[in-house]
This record gives sequence, C-alpha cells and structure tokens, in this order.
Amino acid sequence: MKAYIRSAIAISPQKTFNNPAFLDDPAEYRNSRLTSIEPDYSEAIDPRSIRRMSRIIKMSVASALACLKDAGIANPDAIVTGTAYGCLEDTGLFLTNIIQENEEPVTPVAFVQSTHNTIGAQIALLIKCSRYNNTFVSGGASFENALQDALMFLSENNAANLLVGAMDEITDMSHVVLSRLGLYKRQPVSNLNLFDTNSKGTINGEGAAFFLLTNTSSPNDLACIDAVATFYKPEAATELRQLIDSFLVSGSINYSDIDLLILGNNGDSKNDEIYSQLQQSVFNGIPSINYKHLCGEYPTSTGFAAWLAANIIKQNNIPVVLNQGKIPKNKINKILIYNHYQNIYHSLILMSSC
Amino acid sequence: MDQLIADLKGQIVVQLKLKNIKREDIGDDQPLFGGGLGLDSLDVLELIVLLKQKYNLRISNPEDGLKVFQSVRTMAEFITANRVQNM
Repeated sequence: MKAYIRSAIAISPQKTFNNPAFLDDPAEYRNSRLTSIEPDYSEAIDPRSIRRMSRIIKMSVASALACLKDAGIANPDAIVTGTAYGCLEDTGLFLTNIIQENEEPVTPVAFVQSTHNTIGAQIALLIKCSRYNNTFVSGGASFENALQDALMFLSENNAANLLVGAMDEITDMSHVVLSRLGLYKRQPVSNLNLFDTNSKGTINGEGAAFFLLTNTSSPNDLACIDAVATFYKPEAATELRQLIDSFLVSGSINYSDIDLLILGNNGDSKNDEIYSQLQQSVFNGIPSINYKHLCGEYPTSTGFAAWLAANIIKQNNIPVVLNQGKIPKNKINKILIYNHYQNIYHSLILMSSC
Repeated sequence: MDQLIADLKGQIVVQLKLKNIKREDIGDDQPLFGGGLGLDSLDVLELIVLLKQKYNLRISNPEDGLKVFQSVRTMAEFITANRVQNM
C-alpha cells in the first residue's frame, strides 16, 4: 500500500495556493481564529458554477481542480474526501431558514448542499466523473480514513490514480459555539508565538488540501505515502508507544530511519503533554517541527500537515517559520506525521521521498 | 403588471444568487430555462419557494410549472391570475 503524490494543493490560512514561495512570508493572526486566504475563485472555477457554492465548497473545489490540473489528469479513477464538520455554513443557513420561515418550505439549495458529501459530488459534477466517490466523516480521523480508503482503492481496484482531499471550515456560529466550550485561548495571541504561551486553549483553524495519488512513480512526484494508521482513545502513553512501535515494525521502519517528525502540538498545555511525553521516550532525538501555528486546530488539519510534508520532501527544505534554524540541513527522506485531535483520534502518516 | 415584473426580476436575482446579472439585464419574455438565463432544475425549486414565500402561492400541478416558469412575464401573469382568483 504505497501511493505517489503527483500533486498537492492547499488553501489555508497561509499563502499556499497558486504556487507562492514555500511559506517564506507567514501570515500572522492576533486572535484565536485563523481564516483561509482565498484566491479569486473566478479564475479557478467556472463563474456559472460558483453562485451557489459556500466558502468550503469553493475552497475545496478550487483546490481539487488545481490539483488535477497540476497532475495533468482530467478525470481521476476515484474521488475520496474527508471532513468532520462538512458544509457548516449551509447547514447553519438551512436550520436558520427553517426557524425564520416557521417550518414552512424553505429554499432547497442550503439543504442540498449541507450534506458532508456535497464537496465530492460537486467536484465529480464539474469534471463529469461518475466513478467511485466516497466521503469519510469520522471526526479527527476523517482525512486519515479517506487516505486509507484511497490507498486500498489504488492497490485493490486496478485504479491508476485518484483524488483525495481534506477540508473543514469555520463559520461565525461554529466559532462562537466552540469558543464557549473553552477550546480556544481567551487572551489574544499571535499564532507565530503559539507555542510560547503555555496556557489553556488553542487557535481555531480551517482549510482544504487535495492530493492526486497514483500507483506508479514519475519524475514529478512530490513524495510517497507509505502508510497511515489511526488509534481511537488509547488509554495511556504506554499503549500509544506500543501502537507506534507496531506501526513502524509493520513497515520495517526503525525510529532512526525517520528524518523529521511533524507533530500536532496546538499550544494548549494539556493537549501538548502527549507530544512531550513521546519526545522524551520513543521520539527522543528525532528532529521535529509543529504546524498548527500556521493553519490552526481543526479535525482535518493533517491534510495541511501532509501538504507540508510533501513539499518539505520535494524541496528538501524546511521553511524558517517551522524550523528557525534548529534542524540541520540533512537530506529529508522520511517524515512521520503524528497528530491527535482532543486526545480522542490519534493518527500516524508515514511519507518518504520517491 | 410592470411593477410586479420589476419586483420579480429583483427577487430572482437575489434568490438565485445570480452573478454578474442585474435585474435590468433580464428581459420580460426572456426564457428562464433552456439557454435563456441558464437556470437549472434546482432553480425551479428556488422559484417555487419564492412564489410561496413572497406571494403565498403554491403550484400544485407540476405541469403548470412548465408554463409558469417560462419567463418573468408568465410568472407575473400566474401571480396576477391567482391573486384575483383568491380575492
């Protein structure tokens, strides 16, 4: 189960779309909400198709179409997406309409587009792809499950290529609700100083990331995805260490083979304890970087991490905003992404140079 | 009738989120579907809800919809006729 990443495109709170220099001009936010930097969609999507699209649909469709274009593939053998919250804006609009109209008939578009698989369907409609189309909605493991399905589909179905993506959005309503639950920092903090705060709460994030995966290598590949694993509510650090051990053993990988760890620290002191424990044990001595100060915390943030890993491997370069000169410039062949979302969904994604 | 047609054009632009189209761009007799404004089946549902929300009118017979939604003028005629019937 190995897949080659032919292209990777992300729309995120950083300048990541339309091939800008690789994170050399990081965007700074001084509140707890990181909003995606969106392109002029009329250049990426047929204007006639845009009128009904909410923000997450536009972000995702633009990323997906650009990903296909970069890979030189018009119609993939499958489309697989992962999202935890789905099309929240349309969901909120639909529910608000029901209340405002006193449960009389309401406009159908918001309802039709409120479903989680709207994005996969919209992409398929636009490129006229009637092949395998699946959406995974499993909280903080949504992207990982989509990725596992993609890897299995490539290996079992004689598929040459497929499009896999991760996406989630913040809406005004969701930010208020999640803030009330105490997920985000109460005091203003710069995202670029997120890991210096040592306080409760994180920063809210969003984004869309798409990957064109193939089962055959080409000179233009960014990187390979070697393996993916998810763990649901591991009971203690010892169990987590065993699961990570098993994951690496199954791939015949030693800890010393890993050139770089990408960790899901989010600036919340309690959340980040798990990463510290692992760095003092199994991950001890392995160079590591964090990524959530750039994209914020959200259930499918590993989509951004995978986009990051693919570009680090391809360019053999860790941007300054991630590295700050701490990691020596060695060849980066193998990256392990480890993330957990609210200590419920834990995941590993192993990527390597092709 | 002219005022109703003008109102309908504005409501259609808003309800259907038509981009780069102003109410004055829509002709009174311009076909709404099939190459006219380029509307599709989802827009029919939006227009049915528009008639219910703004004019409290329902289209009970699906075949009536084909005639009613031919153009803004046919929509206005339907509204006028049914308002009179309801009076």
